[in-house]
Amino acid sequence: MASSLTSESKKLATWYFTFAAIIFGAQLLFGLVAAIQYVVPGFLFELLDFSIARILHINALVVWMVFAMFGSVYWLLPDETGIETVGIGIAKLLYWIFVAAIVVVILVYLFIQVGPADQTTIWFITEGREYLEAPRWADIGIVVVALGFVFNLYATGMKGNRSGIVTVLMADMLAFAGLYLAGMGYTDNISMDQYWWWWVIHLWVEATWEVFVGAIAAYGLITMIGAHRKVVEMWLWIEVAMLFGSGILGIGHHYFWIGTPEYWWEIGALFSALEPLPLVAMFIHVLYDWGKMQGEQEAKGEAKSVITNKPAFTWFVLNAFGNFLGAGIWGFFHTLPQVNLYTHGTQFTSAHGHLAFFGAYATILIGMFYLAVQGKNGIKVMHATKKSIWATSMIVGGVVGMTIALTVAGYVQVLVSRAQMGATWAGFFDGQSGMWFAQGMDWRLVMGVITFLGFLILVVDLLSIGKNAKHER
Amino acid sequence: MIDPVIVASTGIALDDFLPIFIYSTLVLVFGGFYVGIYTAVKVKVLKNWTMPLAYVFWLLTSFSLYKMGSLMHINEFTAKALVIAMIGYLLLPHAIYYMQDHVHEENEHEPESI
Repeated sequence: MASSLTSESKKLATWYFTFAAIIFGAQLLFGLVAAIQYVVPGFLFELLDFSIARILHINALVVWMVFAMFGSVYWLLPDETGIETVGIGIAKLLYWIFVAAIVVVILVYLFIQVGPADQTTIWFITEGREYLEAPRWADIGIVVVALGFVFNLYATGMKGNRSGIVTVLMADMLAFAGLYLAGMGYTDNISMDQYWWWWVIHLWVEATWEVFVGAIAAYGLITMIGAHRKVVEMWLWIEVAMLFGSGILGIGHHYFWIGTPEYWWEIGALFSALEPLPLVAMFIHVLYDWGKMQGEQEAKGEAKSVITNKPAFTWFVLNAFGNFLGAGIWGFFHTLPQVNLYTHGTQFTSAHGHLAFFGAYATILIGMFYLAVQGKNGIKVMHATKKSIWATSMIVGGVVGMTIALTVAGYVQVLVSRAQMGATWAGFFDGQSGMWFAQGMDWRLVMGVITFLGFLILVVDLLSIGKNAKHER
Repeated sequence: MIDPVIVASTGIALDDFLPIFIYSTLVLVFGGFYVGIYTAVKVKVLKNWTMPLAYVFWLLTSFSLYKMGSLMHINEFTAKALVIAMIGYLLLPHAIYYMQDHVHEENEHEPESI
């Protein structure tokens, strides 16, 4: 079917979404390799060791989400500003530079893997910083692409209608790009290195990314259920204030044990305790707007649903729950220093990471994929299909299952490795040799396979749902 | 030479870890029920008489947070931080709903601009 898109910005967005979906698949695939290696330690030994599979798994996660975020912004800009994105030619060129850089970095991770541990390694193979392993040349490339993206956003926002959503995104994306610079310095003091590294990781994930999610949720509520812009944007400003208010100094919970001063215990405890508040607010936001708009519809005597894109809205609602559950509950589990002393670096962290990244970000970005499919195929009201229901159920069930399995494994580590054996070398191994830990890893693998199968169905659905005759056009 | 192992401890009893994780979950689950019921009553999805239930859930949230803090042996500062968080949880839906409702009413009397 020919594309119904007339906007070049929206066409570019679909390119971003397509590459994001490919890297999403790579993330899951390398996650499966790493999960198998927990169960069968010799799997792909010296071909693709756990250290490399893990690098690929978590870097692919960051990359596909950044691609999908850029795509989301290019998608909504023409709708919000009323004009075509300014500098779209540059944006397209930067897209190809970004894709080429990511492909080269992945090939280097796969086939070169390690270097001589000097400046050559840092510049051309890997910087060795968790989540930000990209070599220095790629770092510089990412900054250039991010600045180009920020230029597109600012130039378009200033020329066209600057809505509240666009204004929030302008401030947020500048912080997003600027914070990356904090992770580009080099120091051989590990405490100082980690101090700045957290500026990128924490302030991205628990501040700028969350604000981005707030802005995308606002856009989604307006486009999918016709929520009133004034109401939605007022919510957005509250969320921004709460997210930045609690999230910025919430960084303290990463400074408990890395050699930073002890006052971070108090700062981290206070602001981390407040961090779930905006997530609760975002949760109410979706419920409130959905209830209110459906109520208005029914008051007019029309019983039909106000939702114009069922699969996308399902993922947006899952985002509200998932953010609350993964970032809120699983984060609150171990955010206070008194208990974090025992949980830090165990599978508890991994359980939180899996559910939080999925619940807070993957869900809403998959929702944006469906919005793009709807726009590309000129569909007025898009209904769920069997495949979209299966994909959603399997992915959500798989990730929740992985989270539970990792939580059980983490609990064993907390008790054995930390509480009983005092975080000693022997305690580390004893904690991992227990039956509950081993079974936790087995179940994580099973649930990972279910997630991956769900992803395959999702891809088939995204490629075919637009052609389904059941939608209103 | 390897330095001697430093075993840090905040004195949490071995049997207390599971209750700590359960109570911390309940803090947010009960908190979710509190704001969920409050919002549902305000948007008329639930009947008005269910509103006291929302406050019961807030009390349960506070109790769970108190139990969690006690089992963790938190210091005085953290205890104060948690009290502030609980007051925040109590006031948050009221403040947001108040603003929300006013904007909604204002919006309903003005032409929508998208």
